[in-house]
Amino acid sequence: MSQTIVDNHHKEEHVTSTGLSNRKLLMWTFLGSDVMFFGAFIATYLVYRGKSLNGPYPNEILNIPITSISTFVLLMSSFAMVLALNYLNENRRGLTQFWIWSVVVLGAIFMGFQVVEFTEFAIHGLTPRTNLFGTTFFILTGLHGGHVTIGIIWLAIMGYAHKKGALRSDNSEDLELAGLYWHFVDIVWIVIFTVIYLVSASDGPPPGIPGVTH
Amino acid sequence: MSNLWKILTTHRGNGWWNLPQTSQSNTNPKNEGPLSISWLKKLWNLLSHGGVDHAGPAFYTIVAVFLAIVTLLELWIYTVETLGAWLNPLLFLLSALKFVGVVAFFMHLRFDHKYFTIIFTFCMILGISVFISLLLLWSFAGLKP
Repeated sequence: MSQTIVDNHHKEEHVTSTGLSNRKLLMWTFLGSDVMFFGAFIATYLVYRGKSLNGPYPNEILNIPITSISTFVLLMSSFAMVLALNYLNENRRGLTQFWIWSVVVLGAIFMGFQVVEFTEFAIHGLTPRTNLFGTTFFILTGLHGGHVTIGIIWLAIMGYAHKKGALRSDNSEDLELAGLYWHFVDIVWIVIFTVIYLVSASDGPPPGIPGVTH
Repeated sequence: MSNLWKILTTHRGNGWWNLPQTSQSNTNPKNEGPLSISWLKKLWNLLSHGGVDHAGPAFYTIVAVFLAIVTLLELWIYTVETLGAWLNPLLFLLSALKFVGVVAFFMHLRFDHKYFTIIFTFCMILGISVFISLLLLWSFAGLKP
């Protein structure tokens, strides 16, 4: 009896009305909605770009070399993620463990950079309440940081599940879904890095406002 | 036409829509590869496990190196002062290259079922439209008719 139930359950998981994995379809739809979510915040940042009436301004406070290193760390975590999934599919347990935890560590390093950056900005007088730049910057990068934190927790759970034998090559879709989420976090940062850090790095006070700050 | 209608409306037992199954064990499409040039196709097959399954670690390493180089290029361009008005378009172009690299290869869209690409692209277009509309709305907000 129980075998029948298990068999039916197993069958239901693999035969879907679209012929595609429902969970994967759901993840892609969620990522699509998250694109619009972040798109709205990036647009808001651009709308208010260069309109802060008091400092600190981006050209006084953004540290491009440090952020470039954290961007590189996040890119490499994406690389580690894709290798983790690859080795899980090949049933190579040691390598899978290594790469899953590499993603977690690299993600944590990225978050460390963000914490240092936020603290540094606060010390120099830039908080979400200081000016329009502060408000839009902290909301956008803070939301991204929140996504990264969720990803780190999710992947740590995956790493633990793999260690305990609950994550195997036959249910590798669990890790694939976490991987899709993680790569998405990476592509959002690619856009944020360009828009906020590179394009806006030389932004000073708007015309007519003296360059004296805080 | 009637065939199309039949495909779209007939329940075939394995689903309401006549869509093929997607699986990592499926062979890649015949013309899989970044370009349809024979030697590039051979190289691609070599790097992506002989043309079956998803791409292998060697290919992912190449993509990662490419992404790192583009990031370095972005940094270098950022320091070039003579670019003037070309700076931002160039930065956006390089950013788009990295974006596509991650989505197509790390997120497996290049190898996966096209419906995932359609869903994501549709949302991207919708998001970018909202984005552009907001920017246009704001740039005309202070103007009198």
